[in-house]
Amino acid sequence: MSPQLSTDGVTKRFGGVTAVDDVDIEVEQGEIVGLIGPNGAGKSTLFNCITGALTPNSGTVRLDGEELSELPEHAVAQQGLIRMFQHTRVYGEMTVRENALVSTAEDAGLAGSLTPPGDSTRERASELLEYVGLGGLTDVKAGRLSFGQQKLLEFAMALMREPDVLLMDEPAGGINPAKLNQLIEYIRDVNSERSVTVLLIEHNMEFVMEVADRIYVLAHGETIAEGSPTEIQNNERVLDAYLGRE
Amino acid sequence: MSSVLQFVINGLLVGALFAATAVGFALIWGVVDIINLAHGEMLMLGGYVSYYTLVVVTGEAVASPALALATVPVAIVVVFVVGYLLQRLLVAQVLGTDAFLSLLVTFGLSIGLQQVALKLFSADTRRIAVEFADPSLTVGGFVVPKLKLVAFAGAIALTAALFLFLQRTRTGRSIRAVAQNPEAAALVGIDVAHTRAVTFGLASAIAAGAGAFIAMILAIQPQMGLIYTLKSFIIVVFGGIGSVPGALVGGLLLGTVEELVAGVVSSRWTLAVSFGLLIVLLIVKPDGLFGTGVRE
Amino acid sequence: MSSLDTSLDRLVPPTRVRAWFEFGGRHAWTLLGVGLLVGAVVPFVVGDGFYLSVAGEMLMFAVLALSWDIVGGQTGYPSFGQMAFFGIGGYVTAIMFRDFGVFWPGLVLAGVLSLVAAAVIGAVVLRLRGGYFAIATLGILLTLTEITRNISITNGVDGISFLSTLPATTFYYVFLGLLGVEAGLLYYLSQTRFGYTLNAIRDDEAKVNAMGVNTTYYKVTAWMLAALFTGMAGGAWSLFNFFIDPLTAYNTAWNVELIAMALLGGTGTIVGPILGGMGLHAIIRLFVETYFTGWQLGLLGLIIIVTIIVVPSGVVGWLEERASAMDYYEHGGGAAGEESGGETGGEPE
Repeated sequence: MSPQLSTDGVTKRFGGVTAVDDVDIEVEQGEIVGLIGPNGAGKSTLFNCITGALTPNSGTVRLDGEELSELPEHAVAQQGLIRMFQHTRVYGEMTVRENALVSTAEDAGLAGSLTPPGDSTRERASELLEYVGLGGLTDVKAGRLSFGQQKLLEFAMALMREPDVLLMDEPAGGINPAKLNQLIEYIRDVNSERSVTVLLIEHNMEFVMEVADRIYVLAHGETIAEGSPTEIQNNERVLDAYLGRE
Repeated sequence: MSSVLQFVINGLLVGALFAATAVGFALIWGVVDIINLAHGEMLMLGGYVSYYTLVVVTGEAVASPALALATVPVAIVVVFVVGYLLQRLLVAQVLGTDAFLSLLVTFGLSIGLQQVALKLFSADTRRIAVEFADPSLTVGGFVVPKLKLVAFAGAIALTAALFLFLQRTRTGRSIRAVAQNPEAAALVGIDVAHTRAVTFGLASAIAAGAGAFIAMILAIQPQMGLIYTLKSFIIVVFGGIGSVPGALVGGLLLGTVEELVAGVVSSRWTLAVSFGLLIVLLIVKPDGLFGTGVRE
Repeated sequence: MSSLDTSLDRLVPPTRVRAWFEFGGRHAWTLLGVGLLVGAVVPFVVGDGFYLSVAGEMLMFAVLALSWDIVGGQTGYPSFGQMAFFGIGGYVTAIMFRDFGVFWPGLVLAGVLSLVAAAVIGAVVLRLRGGYFAIATLGILLTLTEITRNISITNGVDGISFLSTLPATTFYYVFLGLLGVEAGLLYYLSQTRFGYTLNAIRDDEAKVNAMGVNTTYYKVTAWMLAALFTGMAGGAWSLFNFFIDPLTAYNTAWNVELIAMALLGGTGTIVGPILGGMGLHAIIRLFVETYFTGWQLGLLGLIIIVTIIVVPSGVVGWLEERASAMDYYEHGGGAAGEESGGETGGEPE
């Protein structure tokens, strides 16, 4: 079976610096894959290349076997690949409910947007907001929510798009440690119940080892290791990269 | 062919004044981080200060070259103070808020100053008549009006003086430090608010000097400012924000284009071509304009 | 400051303000209907002299401010060139009337041509942001002014004057109709995903893009909508005014004036720009022009500066903020989801 999402020799240079260097990763349908690496390893740049926010200098990105590399960002998202940002990105002056409604995938065209959202969309929005625990705050402006609540809202917005693949940039960053288990449950739940494939960047090792099926390690723009959490934890090169041993 | 070259010469002579105006515009943009839509009004004020200084002192708007030149420093000093106070009292209030609000405040300022000028100076166009015994030089078959040559030299001198000031003086170094990183500048003991106001004052003063020369070679009018603001914008977009040499080249080029259009087509179309050029520049060079490119 | 706050609380208590908004939200269509009805009666009350002109102009400025706000307030692209479409519309009806003696077909054509011009201009300038967008739109306005000054069909700098036989009440009702249709349309759209998407673009355009929406279509559509109403308002105005020339048709000062109106009333709302447009124009026409003749523009600059510094979100925006200030806590926001302690565990990259 061919992977659902793959990068093949993706390279991105900024001036003289190669931020992502010939990276191949493969994500199978239904997997939760972690992407780790020290700061500046090129993780976020790789995300930007996958989503079309940046155009790679060389290499290809494929979703379900179809090439994405030439598509603009919004077209990539329309293919079912949705990303969440490292710093929360919600529409601050709009209410929580409007944030969810505007994110729907139904009638995604301009013409379809000219009628008020239908009952099914509204129910879906209510259900998802309830699911992430924001059911009581639907009429509050999103900008007034706490950081953690905004992350949950962004999660619900992504789910409104009914993604096939979800890219999460540091989902655990800034979240109250006591709430991390809940977050792991959310991710596992959308993965199994809503059959969403997940690729996530994470710095919190405990978290990523717990949630991911498989992990890629990036350092200096290159993939230096790939394997199950246990394999990664015992990989010499990974320890070198993290501890700065040469 | 020789007439085309003559237009180019005319264009370069006027273009230096555009450049001097644009240098100040670019400086405010780079250091204070504001697109100052009232920049042209500083030029207009400079023209009027120069004109009225002459009228008050001699009783008429006719002067010898030396006397006319003597009014330029007056315009520079007066408008420096105006610019300093405007930044301190007004523009500083909207710094750090939405970019649109600061644009709108300076636009409001522009309109307000035009109105004040209309009330004080009336809508008539004014001109300082400078009397040369022998008004034009002829060099290799081309006519070079001495007055325009003086204005050209004055504009270049103003631009060069600003450049040297920024490079060589302590205040100049503070200005450059604030442009690069206001927080860091504050940490090393630079009074950021004062430095910004000095920048605003200097930029306005240069424009005022250009305005004084424009009063001699062309004419001044209360509503002339906006056009010069837009020309400055064109030049800065072309030459790069904060680049003095870029602004100089851009200004000379814009002057040349305008004189060529005026000479070859008709002077009625110069402004339409300039503004059209602005829009074309913005379309062709959008990447360079967004500054740092990719967000985050 | 705190004593000011308490007196404000007594004067406009948040709960009462919220009740107004809730009432307005529930009865929006009824209120629009009542507004139009009151508007329709005005000519019978004030006759067709000076005050009808002023009332017509107030409606026209409400249309202009509301149109500016579609793009400037709702979508976050503040334009300094909205008057470009006013001028296009104005010249279309003027030329149609001069050459063919008709008004209504000219008014329709004014709308159509404004739409076409907006599609072309919008596709270009809406790729720019912030100051670049603002200045590009100003550049468009000035370019059109210069072109109009130099071509013969518009009669150059001299402009076109005519003796329109249409009564002033006709124009009054045109402006009223435009405002009614526009306000109704915008209110309807504010409850659709189109309206939400415009607001989302204002709040975070890159995010909208990342969520799979081609923002260009939405921006250009909003821009065209604004141009349609602005163009038709301009179309009615040139005959209403018996005269059109480049400087009044593409009036930069008016452009700033209508921004000030939207800003003063409250951008991103529907009521705000309408009230701002009508209110500010009434003040200018009935008060400023009488007691401060020749100082209109100076006062306008002053109003803008004071508004921006004192009430940057406008009167309606300010009331809305007051109304929703307590929402978060009343809905148990402090308890639901994250505690504040959870916000410091981040590891910045």
